[in-house]
Amino acid sequence: MASTSDNSAVGMPQLDFSTFPNQIFWLVVFCVVLFAIVKFFIIPRMEDIFANRRKIIDGNIAKAEEIRLRVSEIEKLIEEELQKAKSQCDEIMNTSGKNIKEQMALALEDSKIATTQLINEAEGRLKELRDGSEAAIEKISEELASEIINNISKGK
Amino acid sequence: MEKKSAFNIHPMDQFIIDPILTGESLEWYSFTNQALWMLISLVSISFVFIFGSRKHQLVPGRLQSIAELLYFFIRDMIIDIAGQEGLRYFPYIFTLFILILFGNVLGLLPYSFTYTSHIAVTGFLALSVFIAVTIIGFVKNGLGFLSLFWISSAPLALRPILLIIEVISYFVRPVSHSIRLAGNMMAGHAVIKVFAGFAGALGLGAIAPIFAITAVYGLEMLVVVIQAYVFTILTCVYLNDALHPGH
Repeated sequence: MASTSDNSAVGMPQLDFSTFPNQIFWLVVFCVVLFAIVKFFIIPRMEDIFANRRKIIDGNIAKAEEIRLRVSEIEKLIEEELQKAKSQCDEIMNTSGKNIKEQMALALEDSKIATTQLINEAEGRLKELRDGSEAAIEKISEELASEIINNISKGK
Repeated sequence: MEKKSAFNIHPMDQFIIDPILTGESLEWYSFTNQALWMLISLVSISFVFIFGSRKHQLVPGRLQSIAELLYFFIRDMIIDIAGQEGLRYFPYIFTLFILILFGNVLGLLPYSFTYTSHIAVTGFLALSVFIAVTIIGFVKNGLGFLSLFWISSAPLALRPILLIIEVISYFVRPVSHSIRLAGNMMAGHAVIKVFAGFAGALGLGAIAPIFAITAVYGLEMLVVVIQAYVFTILTCVYLNDALHPGH
């Protein structure tokens, strides 16, 4: 086995059992100190960083969710507004259509009345004319008849 | 015993434990090159994990990214393998992981000392894991932990044979666990050192060994990280066996 004071190793220094107590002593010291560092410095710090990050990410997600809700609310509002406008528009169209119809009916009525008046007038005048002509015919026929009688009596 | 060769290659010298403060004698408390590199590893870990993330940045910078990556990598690994109950042992497993990872990676620096290449270190770690896992197994499951060795899904006739195999493999765990890591570290460093020795002896012809060193170094970069990962994932698997022996 190699002695530790030699300048070069003979065989494997790993198998020099005389160094084992020293190695294990320092290893135990090292392990204990390292474990303390891990337990009291590294783990709290890493967990803190991770928790912070988690918190911010969760906060952002919550905010995004909130905004999404508000957006859907606004969308609903727009939909409602649109529906209202549509129904209003329908109503306006309906009433104006009715108005137009009424007015048309009124106009039709007026024209009907005017037409019947004209017809009546025309008929009146026609009757007048007819009455007039009948009287004239009677007169003419009377005259004609007396003349014919005259002529006949003269001719005899 | 030692032969002076023309090449003068001493690939194993880098693993000698050297009491750098007290000089010649090595007592159990002597501050050695190995202890120095454990200290450097401690400082590096503190630098990456504490200094690197001192600002608690929401969007991490480079150092904090490394720290977070390693931290959550191990965390997720434990949850994947051992379930939520395994998370209780996260501080221990994470300590183990960064201890090995930083030891391996720092060991790749020229003139450094790789404490994970020593079987005493890896053996101690593996034995600790073995003992801890066995205790956890018995505490959590009582004698039910022994069902780990009694494979109820196998035919009854085979079970006694499987029992022997399972028991042997259970007790071999710390051996394979530790030798895998130390062996990998030692072999890689020794190979680099051998090629470096060639390069020193060949003069202008050193271009070939230097190329080889570059290639092996690249491979070693991969190996050091993978071995730290393998050690940790095996620890998780053993822990899972202790927490859920029936599966």
